Amino acid sequence: MKPLRVFFTGVGGQGTLTATKLLAETALEQNIQVNAGEIHGMAQRGGVVHSFVLLGGYLSPKISQGEADVILGFEPMETLRALSFLKKGGLVLSSEDPVPPISVATGKQTYPSLDYIRSETIKYSPDARFIPCIALARRTGVVQTANTVLMGAFFSMDLLPFGLEVLLDSIKKRLKPGLVDANLKAARLGARFVNNNN
Amino acid sequence: MNLLDPNQGAKELLLGNEAIVRGALEAGVGFISCYPGTPSSEVPDTFFRLSPKGKYYFEYAPNEKVAMETAGAASLGGVPTLVTMKHVGVNVAADPLMTLAYIGTPGGLVILSADDPGCHSSQNEQDNRYYARLAGLPCFEPSNAQECKDMTRDAMELSARWEQPVLLRTTTRVNHLRGSVEFGEMKPARTKGEFRKNPGRFVPIPAVARVRHKVLTANMEKIRTEIEDSPWNRSWGEGTVGVIASGVSRSYLKDVLQSFPEIQVRVLELGIAHPFPEGTVRNFLSGLDKVIILEELEPILENDVRVLCQKNGLDLEVIGKGVELPLWDEYSTLCVEQALLKTLGLEIKKDPVPDPDIADLPGRPPNLCAGCSHRSVYVNVRKVFGDEAIYSSDIGCYTLGILPPLKAADFLLCMGSSISSGCGMSRVVDNPVVAFIGDSTFFHSGITGLINAVYNNYDIILVILDNRTTAMTGHQPHPGVDQSLYGLRPGNIEIEPLVRASGVEHIRKVKALNQKAVLEALEEFKDTSGVRVLIAEEPCPLYAKRVLGVKRSKIAVVKESGPASIECLSNLACPAFFLEGETVRINPDTCAGCMVCVQICDEIKPGSRS
Repeated sequence: MKPLRVFFTGVGGQGTLTATKLLAETALEQNIQVNAGEIHGMAQRGGVVHSFVLLGGYLSPKISQGEADVILGFEPMETLRALSFLKKGGLVLSSEDPVPPISVATGKQTYPSLDYIRSETIKYSPDARFIPCIALARRTGVVQTANTVLMGAFFSMDLLPFGLEVLLDSIKKRLKPGLVDANLKAARLGARFVNNNN
Repeated sequence: MNLLDPNQGAKELLLGNEAIVRGALEAGVGFISCYPGTPSSEVPDTFFRLSPKGKYYFEYAPNEKVAMETAGAASLGGVPTLVTMKHVGVNVAADPLMTLAYIGTPGGLVILSADDPGCHSSQNEQDNRYYARLAGLPCFEPSNAQECKDMTRDAMELSARWEQPVLLRTTTRVNHLRGSVEFGEMKPARTKGEFRKNPGRFVPIPAVARVRHKVLTANMEKIRTEIEDSPWNRSWGEGTVGVIASGVSRSYLKDVLQSFPEIQVRVLELGIAHPFPEGTVRNFLSGLDKVIILEELEPILENDVRVLCQKNGLDLEVIGKGVELPLWDEYSTLCVEQALLKTLGLEIKKDPVPDPDIADLPGRPPNLCAGCSHRSVYVNVRKVFGDEAIYSSDIGCYTLGILPPLKAADFLLCMGSSISSGCGMSRVVDNPVVAFIGDSTFFHSGITGLINAVYNNYDIILVILDNRTTAMTGHQPHPGVDQSLYGLRPGNIEIEPLVRASGVEHIRKVKALNQKAVLEALEEFKDTSGVRVLIAEEPCPLYAKRVLGVKRSKIAVVKESGPASIECLSNLACPAFFLEGETVRINPDTCAGCMVCVQICDEIKPGSRS
């Protein structure tokens, strides 16, 4: 395969690390060379969480500025903050559901408008897609599947050497039985959203 | 995935820290001790999780010094031993470590030092490769998951063979990467050994120590000879510019070389750079015009190479620390690429992408979780002592109280420092001093500070934020946690009797979420002097939910958003709160149901989680 660097950005507690691990394990199972990188600990308490999956022969566990083929943004403002990591011609897939940081929640700073975030993002990634992950996740009955919605969208876009079916199998294999159905639904909803709205 | 699979052949995606566990298991590790700390924690946590099925002995120690001493003696008793900690933990354990290198470790002892370039979750980015030089330890530095496993195994074997302690030095990126690992065969765990008495070796009175220092030096020379031919120190590539790389920089280098075939260099990878393999490096340098040294943080290899050149009359340019390769932070493919291009005088045309305009974006610092009892205590401390008091903080989730509006951290040194350094401050200033410490940190190294506070008659208020677990590093148990939760020895050591036995007379113990009780205790303390200790107890909400299975059905609901709700939002900075226009709301998905806001604000009432 053509080597691919996937950059995950989100907020501690959103399940970005679960998604990172899911992609990395799925890739290894598909016999793709994989290296992934995470940051644990302090940052996870509501801070920004960056993680990385590097496929197809890279050895580094992280991604530098201008290197990411894909940015998966689990929170729109963090998507915007991470744009310098995207390489020219790279693609952004992002949630459109803000998680206000404390300065915004307390009214001390203003969260950028989604229109602004979109227009900035499109300068870097003309085909960028914003996905209503929370709204779609609610339809599964489990709002915590918002991260899987984004993964479903990503797997269905022909960027990886494997598709949505592989993700669905991986969910069945790796998630706790009680969580499988909602996550399968979430992945399909994410995939359907990006494919029906081209 | 089965890390305890005795057979070779399985191929799994492992976290660097899980690979270290597998490597130790393959070497037949029999005894493991630790103090958890990011980025090392998943090593002990994995051993702990597997311990009902594993054949080894594992324990969490109250601090790194205890872990090192326990582990050191297990290896004196002939058992292959691993002890793990984060880089600053080695400072705590340095005293026994220095002696262990003198008297040796017959069963084999590997010390994992998980360094943190970039200070992802630490108070400094000290380079613990210096400890290898200071104490006299061979030092392994893995760069990927497979190496984490294989080097741990080799380090344990080398340690046992030479009866010298060995440093396994990792960095955050390596501990927390995931990569594929092919399993090797697992040796049976050896948990019982035999201590061969030899006071002339194992009791380092001065007469013994003098001799043992020479033995250590001689052993390091022999190990130096052995690692000259180690497969972990290998060279490849062609060119008159050389690159010597260590640790994770080796991975960055390989990715750069793969991406830019026009860069032609000779490479020497040093997986074991101490004792410095002089012969290997000398051979590598011959015929080179320039050599670039890739090592994060300190210029240790750079200096070794410069000394080698001077000793051997080699005339070549050594490129080390500088603009592209700084003394701080992590390296990256980008900085390695720039250092290489500059040295080779190459230019690679890249389409520059302008940086997005993010200067004015609201920041997102980590924050105390919704429902965290530390917030509840801090709010009341501020109410009683405001900005006048000086707040001596410590290491744990509660350090996150540093930011406004809580502003509950004015200075901090290290694990366990809040009490003793709070005392030092209180003697020289007129302000009241309030020290904060968590339960695990209190057991780690707070107790001696408390004894000193009584012994030397200090005026200080100590708040022990007892959330019943080691929260920040992932909910590990500590001496104050009832081990029967984990099917181990029942019972725990209570903090209150320990405080009392230390000679403290003013002690109050409260439920940390009870606003009235916390406030009353603090007000009472304000009007008294001497050593005053408030124990504020409440399980960490994440721990309560995940481990204790506590379900809180109630949540807080803003009934009528007015000035009081706005004030509550501003004072608490709870992540479940948010402003919608001028209206305060509480996100029901985020609210943990601690009910602190309900106690503070008349406009907020209990509601049901529907």
